[in-house]
Amino acid sequence: MGPPDRDTPDATLNAALLTIREAARRGVVASRFQPEVEDRLLQSIVDATVRLFEAEAASIALFERDPERLEFRVASGPKGAGAVGMTVAPNQGIAGYVYSTGEALALSDVAADPRWDRAVAERTGYVPRSIAAVPLVNEAETVGVLQVLDKHSAPSFTMRDMELLAVFASQAAAAIAATKVQRDLPSLIASSLRQVESELTQEQVEALVSTVAGELDVDEETPFWALVDEVSRLRDLGESELDLVGDILRVVAEHRAHRGRGRFR
Amino acid sequence: MPSVEELPAWSEPFNPETRGGLIRLPALETIDREWAFGGATGEGVSVAIIDSGVEGDHPAVRGRLKESWAIEMQAGEPKVVREPVAGDLFGHGTACAGIIAGMAPLVDIVSIRVLGSDLKGKGAAFAEALDMAIRRPVRVANLSLSSKSDALFPVFHELADQAYFSGVVLVSAANNVPGPSYPSLFSSVISVAAHPDPDPWRFYYNPKPPVEFGAWGVDVPVAWRDGGMTVATGNSFAAPHITALVALILSKHPGLTPFEVKAILAAVANNERSASTAA
Repeated sequence: MGPPDRDTPDATLNAALLTIREAARRGVVASRFQPEVEDRLLQSIVDATVRLFEAEAASIALFERDPERLEFRVASGPKGAGAVGMTVAPNQGIAGYVYSTGEALALSDVAADPRWDRAVAERTGYVPRSIAAVPLVNEAETVGVLQVLDKHSAPSFTMRDMELLAVFASQAAAAIAATKVQRDLPSLIASSLRQVESELTQEQVEALVSTVAGELDVDEETPFWALVDEVSRLRDLGESELDLVGDILRVVAEHRAHRGRGRFR
Repeated sequence: MPSVEELPAWSEPFNPETRGGLIRLPALETIDREWAFGGATGEGVSVAIIDSGVEGDHPAVRGRLKESWAIEMQAGEPKVVREPVAGDLFGHGTACAGIIAGMAPLVDIVSIRVLGSDLKGKGAAFAEALDMAIRRPVRVANLSLSSKSDALFPVFHELADQAYFSGVVLVSAANNVPGPSYPSLFSSVISVAAHPDPDPWRFYYNPKPPVEFGAWGVDVPVAWRDGGMTVATGNSFAAPHITALVALILSKHPGLTPFEVKAILAAVANNERSASTAA
């Protein structure tokens, strides 16, 4: 007989993988239970931005990969609704510039210039006269852009406006950081792997991440994910109904114990 | 034992026989704008614009774009390539070029585009562009972007020091967002924020770092993409005003070091003057 498994490097890595896999699974389960937490926080920030600036619209675009793009996640204000769900290339327009440079900037007289990213603006159904945009910055990187269109009280934005906007942007960045686990599971898994096993090559890390992430394909119609979705719908139940659901789950668990093995690992 | 040639000679310039090499400027209090850049055109001074590219045929650029380069990521490594067409993906680099050519009409502009292609290598591309500007060398570089990557801190620190010691003035737009921002927070660069007075020649020295200079950056009429114009606000429109002043000073006084340029800017800034300064 060889040495106990847990003493070999492979066994340590396997144990770490199991832990990471479990953590990732829990992260995805958590995101299924509260999928809209991030959007709710971001929405409250653009709502407040529109009120404070008395603006026609405010929106937040977040950077997403595969393909790289800026996706407008939330918007507010009388002219804001058309932006939600829209994507722009990160090398395009004001949002792209602010995302790429991390520099805040504002333009006015933009509608007067027929060439200025009018196509993008027209897709939202609203072409602004003035626009201010600031980056959303986490500890080490820019994760998105907060934009405000057309202040009612003035034809352009002041530096004070930009500084105020930066405060709202830092709130938004904090909200995003708080829900980052849900957004960026693959990179979380990769960094955890590197911490437990610094010898791994980039290719090995990527292969392991894709294996673990593949297991978490939440669009897959497995009974487990269907159950998670069902349970997530129970949030609004009253106390007596929740008691009933608890009783049912206990019966199922006991049934599984009697059979010796369960369907869900 | 090291040979004589290998011994350090830091004190050599200060020997009585060699002090002739130390002849410098007039005393700061006698320096005014007329001395600093009166009649200067920026002629003979090359200015790098590390940004989104520059539209060479934009009327505001006055035909001063001499070279267009881009940094592209090839197999994960930043590579310097010539731009086949002198264009601008966003409009921002052209805005900077227009401000600079408007104030220093005979400068030679070298565009080094780092924005608009591969986002993953953004920081590395920016570092490569700075390195290129220093090696050429240009005399002044306008930087409207910065990096927040801790990993690149030592790289940018080294490059900023190299620029400083080799006489390349780096003018960097201050970042309004809290947190690290390289190289705009380094003492070896000139960091610029915006003031609202509509006057390209009005600028202030701020004795409380890290942002040491303020120039016009609010509602500035600027050149934009496709031959257009817009009105823009931000620190990144303030920086090119200082870049232009540096180019003017260097065209009139080519031998100045970045330290001396900064001191002259402080000496001729629009600050109110007093016989003594508060601590």
